[in-house]
Amino acid sequence: MDPVLPYLACLVLALALYAAIRPSAITFRIGAIVATVAAAGWLLGIIAGYLSSLEGDAATPFFIIFSLAVIAAAVRMISHERPIYCALHFILVVIASAGLLLLLEAEFMAFALIIVYAGAILITYMFVLMLANQAPDPNEPETMEYYDKIPREPAAAVGVGFLLLCIVTGTVLHGTSDLPPRPNNTVAWHTLEQLPKQFEASILELDETFAWPPQKTEQGNAIQFDQDVAYVLSAENVRLDLDVSMAPTNTQSVGWSLVNDFPVSLELAGVILLMAMLGAAVLARKAIEIGDREKRNVLSTNEEKAS
Amino acid sequence: MMLASFGAATLASYLVVSGILLVIGVVGFLVRRNLIVMFLCTELMFQGAAIAFVAAGRYYLDYSGQVMVIFILTVAAAEAALALALVVFMHRQRDTLDPDAYGELAE
Repeated sequence: MDPVLPYLACLVLALALYAAIRPSAITFRIGAIVATVAAAGWLLGIIAGYLSSLEGDAATPFFIIFSLAVIAAAVRMISHERPIYCALHFILVVIASAGLLLLLEAEFMAFALIIVYAGAILITYMFVLMLANQAPDPNEPETMEYYDKIPREPAAAVGVGFLLLCIVTGTVLHGTSDLPPRPNNTVAWHTLEQLPKQFEASILELDETFAWPPQKTEQGNAIQFDQDVAYVLSAENVRLDLDVSMAPTNTQSVGWSLVNDFPVSLELAGVILLMAMLGAAVLARKAIEIGDREKRNVLSTNEEKAS
Repeated sequence: MMLASFGAATLASYLVVSGILLVIGVVGFLVRRNLIVMFLCTELMFQGAAIAFVAAGRYYLDYSGQVMVIFILTVAAAEAALALALVVFMHRQRDTLDPDAYGELAE
């Protein structure tokens, strides 16, 4: 592969991004966004093509659709002049990247992302936008705030972005072939063993005559492996091969990993959320200064009411 | 759920998408002059990081990557609450969202 080709794609992407964020006519901007997405697709094609010539797997059509949708929505988000549309395009980014997470078989995270990001965080942003911004009349562009129309140093920003993208691309391109070997797919069965009730129920569902509990190996594992096949041995030495459908779901595995591997981080996350809540309440509280005269006025009106 | 194997080329494609998302977030943060949109761009960077975490975790058949996304969500929510409270506070003082208007804080 020509070593310059991915960096050329990065350069084209950066130039198209520059055209997209500069103030100009709307049709020109849309064209620039389409060019940005095309450059991103070209870059992805170069990288996937180079690496699949080493290993031999290809991107699915859904991956292409979702990734290009993510990039298009992100570019439109940073180039749109009206902040409320920026927020709406960010929701599109979240939904499309939830699609990418679904392709990665991370169902729980995909839907949590939509619920928490698109449903909660973005609503907060929208509320603040409506509090802070006077909505401009779409027919009168001069009513728009100057700081939404004029970008700050687009050339320097795109230069920084180009360098960063080159670093990311180069690292991915040269580092992926040196990745350490992948482990065998036994993590699902280890998780199942940690859920004793479900383990027992699914085994008895598979074979009602199985004599529970199963034998354990010297390491204390009930599930043993015969190459790719997982099996358990009953007390009477009857072998029972496990079915793939018995493996725990994505949500169960994520939950187990959360409380088993990261208990302290989980507590810290709770503390962070509590502090953020307190901090936001303190910051947003309106300090009302009451002078002596106001106090006297309030007191006298109260006395008048009482009499 | 048993996960099928997952090649290095697919991992690289996901990492590049997340990298592009991060770069767009950085460019947006530098280019925009609206405080709220600048914070939205940081959320874009978080999103890129989340995709990279999940893709790498999927490659190694490890759920820690997805747990990290839960923590990213936590930090993003905390950041949104605090940053937006600050923005509302500043907007009340100056009646503008342009960060350049608060320049004397740096002096």
